Amino acid sequence: MSSSPIVEEAGAVTAPAPAVHTVKTMSFGARLRRDWPLMLMCVPAMLLLAVFHYLPALGNVIAFQDYNPFAGDSPLQAFLSSEWIGFGNFQYLFETTAFWDSVRNTLAITAFQLVFYFPIPILLAMLLNSILSPRLRSFVQSVVYLPHFFSWVLVVSLFQMMLGGSGLIAQTLREAGMTAPDVMTNPDTFMLLITSQAIWKDAGWGMIVFLAALAAVDPSLYEAAAADGAGRWRRMWHITLPGLRPVIVLLLILRLGDALNVGFEQFYLQREAVGRDAAEVLDTYVYYQGIGVQQWGVGAAAGLFKALIGLLLILGANKVAHKLGEQGIYSKS
Amino acid sequence: MGASTSRRNFLGLAGLGATSLAFGCSKKPGSTGSATNAEQAAGVVPTFKESTLVQPDIKGIRPMADGYTKYPTNLVDGITEKAITSGKPVTATTPWWGPVPPSSNKFVEAVSADLGGTITFSIQDGNTYGDKLNAMLGARDVPELLCIPGWEINKLARFNDGVHVLFEDLTPYLAGDKVNAYPLLAGLDTAAWKDSVWGGKLMGVPFPTDSPYPTALFARQDVLDQRGVAAPTSLDAIYEFGKKMTNEAKGEWAFGDIFQEVLQICGNTGSQNGWAKGADGKVFHRYETPEYARAVEFMARIYKEKLIHPELASTKGGDVKTLFKGGKIFMFADGVGGWKEVQRDIVKTVPAFNMQAVKVFGADAGKPPVRWGGTPSIMWTFIKKGVGQARVEELLRVLNYTAAPIGTKEYELQNFGQEGVHFKRDANGAPVTNDLYSKEFANQFIFLGGRPPVVLGGPDIPNYAKDLVTWGNDATQYLEKNPWEGIKVEVPTQQAAIQQPTDDKITDIQRGRRPVSDLPKVVDEWRKGGGDAAREFYAKVLADNGR
Repeated sequence: MSSSPIVEEAGAVTAPAPAVHTVKTMSFGARLRRDWPLMLMCVPAMLLLAVFHYLPALGNVIAFQDYNPFAGDSPLQAFLSSEWIGFGNFQYLFETTAFWDSVRNTLAITAFQLVFYFPIPILLAMLLNSILSPRLRSFVQSVVYLPHFFSWVLVVSLFQMMLGGSGLIAQTLREAGMTAPDVMTNPDTFMLLITSQAIWKDAGWGMIVFLAALAAVDPSLYEAAAADGAGRWRRMWHITLPGLRPVIVLLLILRLGDALNVGFEQFYLQREAVGRDAAEVLDTYVYYQGIGVQQWGVGAAAGLFKALIGLLLILGANKVAHKLGEQGIYSKS
Repeated sequence: MGASTSRRNFLGLAGLGATSLAFGCSKKPGSTGSATNAEQAAGVVPTFKESTLVQPDIKGIRPMADGYTKYPTNLVDGITEKAITSGKPVTATTPWWGPVPPSSNKFVEAVSADLGGTITFSIQDGNTYGDKLNAMLGARDVPELLCIPGWEINKLARFNDGVHVLFEDLTPYLAGDKVNAYPLLAGLDTAAWKDSVWGGKLMGVPFPTDSPYPTALFARQDVLDQRGVAAPTSLDAIYEFGKKMTNEAKGEWAFGDIFQEVLQICGNTGSQNGWAKGADGKVFHRYETPEYARAVEFMARIYKEKLIHPELASTKGGDVKTLFKGGKIFMFADGVGGWKEVQRDIVKTVPAFNMQAVKVFGADAGKPPVRWGGTPSIMWTFIKKGVGQARVEELLRVLNYTAAPIGTKEYELQNFGQEGVHFKRDANGAPVTNDLYSKEFANQFIFLGGRPPVVLGGPDIPNYAKDLVTWGNDATQYLEKNPWEGIKVEVPTQQAAIQQPTDDKITDIQRGRRPVSDLPKVVDEWRKGGGDAAREFYAKVLADNGR
C-alpha cells in the first residue's frame, strides 16, 4: 500500500487531523474497491470466528432458562422451548454461600499467585539471559519449560511421590526415625502447595515471552552504560527492567482479566485431600453444583458472571496502565 | 424481567457483590423430579422363558448369578438364522475401560460374519462415557444401538424426558408373548426387564446383573495366611487388623478407602441413595441414624491413626488397585466386578496372589450387617427412534444374538473370538486367549446386549467362580429390601444438589478437618438444605405406588 495517511495514522497517535480526514472522506465504494483483496483474505478467519466463537456464544441464552435439552422437536428447538426464568439461575448462584466461598478462594489464590508466582518467570528470564553460552542457555531453557507439557494429573502425582505421606521424602525421614511433615493434606498450607506446583509446571513456559523481550533490548545500551561506569545492578535497573516493562504490564493486565480462572484439574484432583473449604474454586463449584446435578443454566450463568468480571477487570487495568503512561493491551486511536 | 430489575441495575447489584437479590419474576431452575409407576412396569415386560443350556457347577441364590468352574465342552448352535438380513451396516456405541481396539478388527469381523452383516462400533472411554453421552444425547445424534450404563443414566440431564425423544418404544415388539420371536431375549430375568421400563413403556434391553452387591471388602488372603492374621469378623477386629498390618517404615498400610463397606458393616441403608422406610412407616435417611454416626466415627479413627494409605488420602488419582497388587495395602472396598480383573492380571507375575472377598459380618456379634442391593439391570441398550419397523426387528435380532447364554457357540465367539485366531483350548477344552485377543477385544458384543447372569473363571483363575458365588450366596441373607425397587426415581435437582456439599463435610470429618461432634450439625444443615424436602418426595413416590 502506498497510501501514506494510513502509515501516518498507525505511526503517530497525535497524527494531524487532515490526514485522518482523507480516509474518512473516501466513499464506501472506493474503499471497497481498494481493499477487497484484503477483505477476501480475512473471510476464512472471520468465518472461523463466527462458527466457533460467535455462534456457540448464542448458547449462553440458557443462563436465562430452565434448560431442558429434550424439549421441542430438535436440539435447536430445545433452546426455544425451554422455559424462560429471567435471572433465576443468577439468583440461585448469588443466594448460595458456597458460591461466594468459591469466588473468595479463587480471588485469594489469584492474589497470592500474583505476588509469589508472577515475578518468577521474569527473574528466571533475567537469570537465563545472563548465561553467555548459547548451548547451555538453550539446554536450561528446554529443561525448565518442558514441565508445561505435563498434565496436571502427572504433576500432582509427581508431587505426591516426592512429598506425599508415602513419598520419597517421608519414607527417607521415617527410616531416619523422624516424622514426616504433612504437606499434601494440610489445608493451611494448600496455597503454598498449589503455587509451588504452578511454578514447577509453568514458570519455564511463562519465561519464554520475557526472554523474547530481553532479546529485543539493544546490546549497545549495555555497552554504553558499562562504559559510563554502571554496575551490574544499575544496568538491570535502568536497562533490563524498563525494556521488559511493556510486556510485564501486558501480561499483568491479561492475568487480571483471568482473575476468576485459576484452573480446574489441579483443584479437582486435590480437593478431597484438603477439603472443600480450602480447595473449592469457581470452576470446581460449577462442576459439582452446575454440571454434576445437571443445572446447565446455573453453569452458564456462572460462566457469564466470570466473563463479565474478567472484562471489567481488563478494562479497568488497561485504563490504569494508560494513566501510568503505559501502552497496555490496546489503545483507542 | 420485572420493572424493578432492568439489566443495568442488575449488573450494578452484581458488581457490588450483593449476596441476596430480589428478582421480580424469576423462577428457580431445575427439574422437579419424577417417578414412573411400578404397576405399569409389570404389564409390559416380556414373558420369561428359561434359556439356560448348561447346568451350573455352583448354583447362585438369586439375584446372585450361577457359577461355572468348568468350561462347557458340548457347545450348541443357539441361533441358526442370520440376524442381519438387509445387509445395511449397524452402528453401535459401547464403553470400554482400556485401550481402544483397532477399527480393522478380526474379532469384530468374525462375530459380524456370524450375524450376517457388519457392525460399525464406536468404542468410547468408559471413564468419560458420561461426557460423551451428554453431548450425543443433547445433540440428539445417537447410533442405532447405544449402550448406557445405569450409573451414567443417573448423571444424564432429564433422561426421563430424553429416553422417549431419542429411543424406540420396544413394548410393541417385546411385551408378553411377542418376545417369542426373540427366544434368547426371553431368557433374560423378569426383574431386569421391569427395570427397563420408563414412563410405562419398555425402552431398552437390559443387562442383568451378575451380582447384586455394589461393593465387597477385598483382602490379600495369601498375605494374611502367611502372617497368621485372621480376616476380621467385627468392627473392632477391623481396627485390630489395621494395627497389625500397618507398618509405615516398610511402606505398608492396612487399608484403602473402606468407607462404603464400613457403612454396610455398621448396618446402614444404601440401596436407594441411603433412603429407607422405618418400622413406623416413616421415611428416613441413613444420615439420621446412630449406625451412620458410628461408621463415620470409625473412619475418622482409622484416618487419624494413619491406617489408610496416605497416597489415597491425598489425591483423587491414587490408584488403589495398583497399591493392592503391589502389596502396599491389604484390604479395600471395591465393586465386585473388579475382582476378576485384578486377580487375573496379577497371577501372571505373582502366582501365589490370592484376593478374596471377606465373608460378610456385622459390627458386633449378633448385629447383622445390611448388604446393599444394586439394580436388577446394570446397563441398557437402546434402539434409535424412527429407524422403521423392519429395522427395529433386525436390530432386536442382533440383540437376541448377543443374549446367547453360556454353552452356545455364539457365547464363545462373542467372549473369546475365533478358535485358532484369538484362542486355543487347554487340555480341558477351556479357551486360553492370546495377544491378538487382548488387542481386539473390548467387550463390544457383550455390552450390546445382556445375557443370563453367569460367573465364569478360567484356567488362570480356577477358584474365582466358586469363591465369588459362595461369598454372594452367603451375603444374600443380609440383602436390604429396597421399598422403591423397580420405580425409576428422578430426584428433584435442588435435592440432588445438597448431596455433594454434605459429602464434602462428611469427608472433612473423616479426615479430621472437622471434629466428629460436628456430625449432628452437618445433618441438620442437610435437612434444612433439601433433606426434608427429599424425604417428602420419596415418601410421596411410595404413597403413589401404594407401598
